[in-house]
Amino acid sequence: MYKLNNLTFYYKNTEVPALKNINLEIAHGEFLGIIGHSGSGKSTLAKCLNGIIPHYQHGRMRGQVLFNGNPTETLSIADISRSVGSVFDDPESHLITMEVEQELIFGLENMAVDPKEMQIKVENALEAVGIAHLRNRSINTLSGGQKQRLAIAAALAVEPKILVLDEPTSELDPIGSKEIYNLLAKFNKKGITVVLIDQKVELLARYASRIIVLNQGEIILEGSPREIFSADEKLNKAGVDIPQVTKLIKMLGFRYGKLPISVDEGAACILENMGIGK
Amino acid sequence: MISNPIIQVKDLCQNLDENHFILNKINLTIGSGEFLALVGQNGAGKTTLAKHFNGLLKPTSGKVLVDNLNTKYVKVSELAQKVGYVFQNPDHQIFHNSVEKEISFGLKYLNLPAEEVKRRTDDALKAVGLVDYRYAHPYSLSRGQRQRVALASVLVLKPNVLVLDEPTTGLDYRESMQIMNMIRSLNNQGHTIIMITHDMSLVSTFAKRVVVLNKGEILLDGPVREVLSHQEILSETFLEIPPISRLADKLSVIGIPKNLLTVEEVYRALCDVRGAEK
Repeated sequence: MYKLNNLTFYYKNTEVPALKNINLEIAHGEFLGIIGHSGSGKSTLAKCLNGIIPHYQHGRMRGQVLFNGNPTETLSIADISRSVGSVFDDPESHLITMEVEQELIFGLENMAVDPKEMQIKVENALEAVGIAHLRNRSINTLSGGQKQRLAIAAALAVEPKILVLDEPTSELDPIGSKEIYNLLAKFNKKGITVVLIDQKVELLARYASRIIVLNQGEIILEGSPREIFSADEKLNKAGVDIPQVTKLIKMLGFRYGKLPISVDEGAACILENMGIGK
Repeated sequence: MISNPIIQVKDLCQNLDENHFILNKINLTIGSGEFLALVGQNGAGKTTLAKHFNGLLKPTSGKVLVDNLNTKYVKVSELAQKVGYVFQNPDHQIFHNSVEKEISFGLKYLNLPAEEVKRRTDDALKAVGLVDYRYAHPYSLSRGQRQRVALASVLVLKPNVLVLDEPTTGLDYRESMQIMNMIRSLNNQGHTIIMITHDMSLVSTFAKRVVVLNKGEILLDGPVREVLSHQEILSETFLEIPPISRLADKLSVIGIPKNLLTVEEVYRALCDVRGAEK
């Protein structure tokens, strides 16, 4: 779906690259997590996927981003956004209308969707994120968490093939975040490719099929959550936390078949190492 | 009961209109020097309650005393010297073009001698680790650094109480730990800390007392360990105890005490059990 070849990007008037020699393939149907310290290039990478770079934000770009075989430079943002839905970390910056319903209709109108179909699409998208009851509310009366849900609904309404989300749960409470992850998993099962930037390692460990770790613009780790979180020294250097359960098992120096990353796996591993539960 | 109360909230109600309340009959006493976490799901009323502590909001009914002064009759500028408020988004409060100017701004209105202004600014810069960035433009800093600028600009006023609204939102793991360790050392120096968050791992690692708000009312109030033991009540409010505490609960069969809060505590408990076996 995506193929990034030796991608390097400098923002205008900067000497240090925001992304350095990125080589990455994203396959159809993946749930890819991207993690890294602030300033590591996560958001820049997301903007390269949805075409904001190079179309809106300019700078020096070397290498290539191929989307379904075509360089994004040669595609228009309109073309890309027919397949790629984007959600940014600050919902305030991307909600543009006054009312919840209008926000969704805006995207659909731009895609020239038949008005008859619009009603259904709006309803489905709002229901999917659990804010159908807010349909006629004015956006400025919504809480931070509700705005984030709306931003996700707006991206979903146009039925994209890929969702690129930049810290979409930063203002949600823990159960709210989990709901969004469950939702993304559900869409992922239906075949939507999910590219998710987040700091929430406990959730990424559970939901992502693959994780890449960025450090100062470079990919320093890539693999399944289990592979990633076993490289704790590298992660520490990159300023990335590991799940609490994994941390404990490592401190204890316990043996394990596959690295425990969830509460249940951790409990089983501990009981086994203490000679119980077999 | 609480000796040396600094904030007393009595039957506080805050109404949106005649039929809708945001806060309903809140009673809360906070002692000088406490480290209190205010938790609850999105829209529970956390920020609304906190804004009563420095007089930004006045009660619809009931009263709030800060250092025995009724906030209804005291100017916000006077309260600001007793209760410092650091907003969730530092960009909502930063407006100067250098870190030094931003930090010393609040002091200008206190008619302090120039040496005192300089001394306090130096101290605040040191406290947040930004001495090298004195002349930098705040917007050339990272989000974590800007969060620290916002904290320093409140610290210079030497308020007894610091209210921190989601101090780690948008920060990576390393920056979160930096700012939390800073907040802990301010608490050790005698500052009262009131931290709004929904990150229960932060609460269990740093706070001493937790107040759980739900739909505008106080649901639970007590020491962290006690509050976190009410798992069912917490899940009703969309909060979740940290994974490590859930793991500890599963290990009670091998004699691990319930209600452990951090990876280190569980590690020590497991070492004790292992030691006893040998």
